[in-house]
Amino acid sequence: MSILKCSDPIALNLWYAIAPLDEVLIGETAQTILLEQPIAYTRNHTGEIVAWVHDVASGGNPETDRLPIKERYGYFWTSLGTPDADIFPIPEYDEQDRRNIHAASFGVNVSAPRLVENFLDMGHFPYVHTDILGAEPHTEVKEYFVEVSKERDEILATNCKFWQPMAAAVASGGMDVDYVYRVPHPYSAVLYKSNPTDPERMDVIAIFIQPTSQETLRVHMLLSLLDESNDDISIRLFQQTIFGQDKPILENQYPKRLPLDPRAETPIRADKSAIAYRRWLSDKGITYGVIPAAA
Amino acid sequence: MIKLYDYELSGNCYKLRLLMSFLGVEYESKLIDFYPGNQHKSEGFRQINPLGQLPVVDDDGLVLRDAQAILVYLASKYDASGKWYPRDNPALLGQISQWLAFADGITATASAARLHDALFYTQIDVDAARAGANTLFRILDEHLYFAEEAGQDWICPGDHPTIADIACFPYIMLSEEGGVSRMDYPAIRRWCDRFKRIPGFTVMSGVFPAGPAVSGSIVSAA
Amino acid sequence: MTTDLQSNWYPIASSSDLPKRHVYQAQLLGREFAVWRADDGYVNVWENRCLHRGVRLSIGINNGTELRCQYHGWRYANRTAGCTYIPAHPADAPARTICNNTYPAQEAYGLVWAGELAVGELPAIDGFESATVLRPVPIMAPQKMVNQALLGYAWDDTCESAENSDGSVTITATDGSAVRVFVQPVDSNHSVARALYNRKVAGEERIALLKRHSWLMQELRDRTETQAARQETPAPYEPVIAKVSEDLVDIPAISVDGRKADLRVQVARKEMTADGIASLRLEAIKDQLPTFQPGAHIDVHLPNGLVRQYSVTNGPGETDHYTIGVKREPDSRGGSVAIHDTVGEGDVLAISAPRNNFPLRRDAVHTIFIAGGIGVTPLIAMARALNAQGLEFEFHYFVQSDDHVAFKRELSEFEGALNIHKGQSPKETGETLTEVLANPGYARHVYICGPGPMLEATRQIAADKGWADEAVHFEYFKNTTELDDSNSFEIDLARSAMTLTVPAGKSILDVLRENGINMSSSCEQGACGTCRCGVIEGDVIHQDVYLSDGEKAEGRSIMTCVSRAASNRLILDI
Ligand SMILES: N[C@@H](CCC(=O)N[C@@H](CS)C(=O)NCC(=O)O)C(=O)O
Ligand code: FES
Ligand SMILES: [Fe+2]
Repeated sequence: MSILKCSDPIALNLWYAIAPLDEVLIGETAQTILLEQPIAYTRNHTGEIVAWVHDVASGGNPETDRLPIKERYGYFWTSLGTPDADIFPIPEYDEQDRRNIHAASFGVNVSAPRLVENFLDMGHFPYVHTDILGAEPHTEVKEYFVEVSKERDEILATNCKFWQPMAAAVASGGMDVDYVYRVPHPYSAVLYKSNPTDPERMDVIAIFIQPTSQETLRVHMLLSLLDESNDDISIRLFQQTIFGQDKPILENQYPKRLPLDPRAETPIRADKSAIAYRRWLSDKGITYGVIPAAA
Repeated sequence: MIKLYDYELSGNCYKLRLLMSFLGVEYESKLIDFYPGNQHKSEGFRQINPLGQLPVVDDDGLVLRDAQAILVYLASKYDASGKWYPRDNPALLGQISQWLAFADGITATASAARLHDALFYTQIDVDAARAGANTLFRILDEHLYFAEEAGQDWICPGDHPTIADIACFPYIMLSEEGGVSRMDYPAIRRWCDRFKRIPGFTVMSGVFPAGPAVSGSIVSAA
Repeated sequence: MTTDLQSNWYPIASSSDLPKRHVYQAQLLGREFAVWRADDGYVNVWENRCLHRGVRLSIGINNGTELRCQYHGWRYANRTAGCTYIPAHPADAPARTICNNTYPAQEAYGLVWAGELAVGELPAIDGFESATVLRPVPIMAPQKMVNQALLGYAWDDTCESAENSDGSVTITATDGSAVRVFVQPVDSNHSVARALYNRKVAGEERIALLKRHSWLMQELRDRTETQAARQETPAPYEPVIAKVSEDLVDIPAISVDGRKADLRVQVARKEMTADGIASLRLEAIKDQLPTFQPGAHIDVHLPNGLVRQYSVTNGPGETDHYTIGVKREPDSRGGSVAIHDTVGEGDVLAISAPRNNFPLRRDAVHTIFIAGGIGVTPLIAMARALNAQGLEFEFHYFVQSDDHVAFKRELSEFEGALNIHKGQSPKETGETLTEVLANPGYARHVYICGPGPMLEATRQIAADKGWADEAVHFEYFKNTTELDDSNSFEIDLARSAMTLTVPAGKSILDVLRENGINMSSSCEQGACGTCRCGVIEGDVIHQDVYLSDGEKAEGRSIMTCVSRAASNRLILDI
């Protein structure tokens, strides 16, 4: 294996979703990039997924340069290092009556942590997702709770509420929507959102980010929904519409890497979860995709 | 009713949504799973458009492909004012066609760069696509600068925008998603603001509305 | 990295690049700018980065008076670049110090000039007083290489070129026509050639001139870019990302700036706006006035030593002055009389920066303003802000007679939303208010400002009609409560780890100050809310008119200028 461009040991030892399982076809080799390292993958004739580091010069060897593989949440995951933890749990994924849909994988010219922060943010709904996830003048982000769970090593934001005119593909009319957010991985996040069909349970949306470099990424979006009335295509297209609105904002953020110095930008109470996330990344000592606070 | 084979993130489909919104024409969107489903390359869709491309319009049995061709058709048929595509002005028709072809060039460059960056169309030579987009933008920026000098707001002469403006707008406005900045094209940036203020303007994902123009303060009564 | 290049002035735009309601994107030595002209003509050159989450402001909206960020809708004022509104927290006033980074800018010779650290006047460009601005041409090449190429620029055989001491190049023909080209260093390998022609020409001659130079400059561009492409591309400039001020790291922070009057303003205009009401236009003597928000007031320090609070009536973006309204109150301690009788146009007054204890929410679906007499002033500023945003409101103004209607011109902006109620008795006023307040509801808010009795009556009617406490906002302009300061008690300062005794006859505020703790205050009579402080433990005798009944019952805050402990001890969050 050649020398890796990414020198952040924490980032190297994480698991990353690379592609939806049904896009990995027998006999077809595809290429992508993880942490600046080109990799290739295919499905062999026994149906098993194989991935390996692939260098433009040497080509790479599927046998000797083989990477670890896990299949989870409809994607295959790999790592360039030796992960010391399993992929984080999303127990809802296995519930019988849910629909698990891969919405899309998109490339975005921004660092992974900027996208995680956008995913945790409610204040932008009226301005970026106008008339869908928010509408002026309903702009208030009410107080919510944030905790960093030591035992699970993840950030949890609960009791989040936001007024939405059209919260999901099945929604008609405005209402206050409840959210819960989890950040169980430096470059992945999961949100839970109340849904109009079942007051007891929540829809789940997850983003799994594959950083292709410090300032570019590929994001895989998973939906695990209780929706019974819409077809997969409309659900998927609704999610793409939403993401397509965030994209120009993300690509117009400067600097592209997330600054961890508390004095780099100006937080407000609504950004509590983002502040916790930045601090959590700092405490972990992550350097990939961020501008570390000067010691 | 007009049926538009549509995909939200496609700038070419957006051209038609824009014109129909300006004209107040009703239509039905048939959503195509362009990405990641590749539905436009499916057998079913290739029977509608053998090129396997969006958009396609079906107007009461008349099936047309190519955004520019459809703009010509819809404006000719549904714009009673004749302003978007002035049929009886040969000079203007020539100019409009010239810029419609130019718009296809923008699709081939600026849109290609965006497909490369956002949807992993890795077969595209992205550096060439970006360079091509910049070449076209330089030409359009100079054109619009002199249009402004002549007191003209739009790509073609006259006091009303034409389908040439519609054909050029989407992939210019989305160019940053392919890594093509518009900082060097101030006349294009001003034209984008004017375009967004045309009554009936609608947005697509990736395009934000303009603020209010100078005149007209809105006061709501009690 | 700062370089001496940064202290130069460079043109970054043509004046014609900045029509109203547009945001122009520029870059100089690697630093991006958002450049926008307000409706009053002022050209703002700001860092192209919202201080909140770094989004480029060049994708935001110029509404003529403010620039609104596209991500979370923060609004920044013309001139000061101060943040005036944070939609995610509509009930709060943003900390006054959230201010975007601005850069020195000047508009001259048809060009907009800026420099990250530019100082002094722009040097005169002799011979170009009446010039034509040619079409700027971007070139992907280093500034030096473009300058070099310009020495060969010519439109006829007689052209001769020379480099000027400021680095620009002048090309002169024997007929006396001349072009002076300034090269804006956008980045290390990216420039814009901006040129002036030394004559003003019009009509077809102008178009021909512009076309000719656009063509020649593009030819020069193509040659220079070919040359640049043969060289190794220099590394791009890396502009320093400035840090925000320390106090913005944690929000909200308690301000500890005491009662200060650090601004000097001149009375630019004083006129009677209604019977017994003077309006004063106050302009900065030097520099910029700080950002205000609708509902804010300033302390005015009068020649006779008194300090009085007056609300700012300005609309959004009117940042080059403050206009206040002062009612002559013969029975007062002499503050208003001093303004009416002794302060004149041209006088200089000391004032505090605006402080906002009466913030306006802009997330209401409907807003009702109820003004009594001179209480109209803060509400004018608020209604003008909503009006500019196209948000729905109604404005009720209770006055004795038509002669008592102040600020008629500003009020006329509200058109159909304005209701003036003249000469009503207290009973009739009560009936009108009962009608006005008939329908509380989701996201409906009321703002009241007026004399004490009217305010009390309005709050009572609102409560009877079912308006929630947090939907009713009010500002007293004085406290008429009989104050009792006869008890003595201890205060524990939780964060400063101090215990102090407040004796009879002194306020908590007095004692804090005596012990070196600098607490802001303004009216010092329990009306303005500036000296508010958190209570961690202990019961409070509230003697202010600022806190709502609900807040008083909750007991989590105290106005330290008038209120006292009911128990022996209070633990304060200081
Ligand atoms: N000239 C055609 C180009 C259309 C086009 O490029 N459409 C895109 C979607 S926006 C497409 O379908 N691309 C798939 C392909 O070309 O294979 C037009 O203007 O309509
Ligand atoms: S980034 Fe500008 S308002 Fe949040
Ligand atoms: Fe979003």
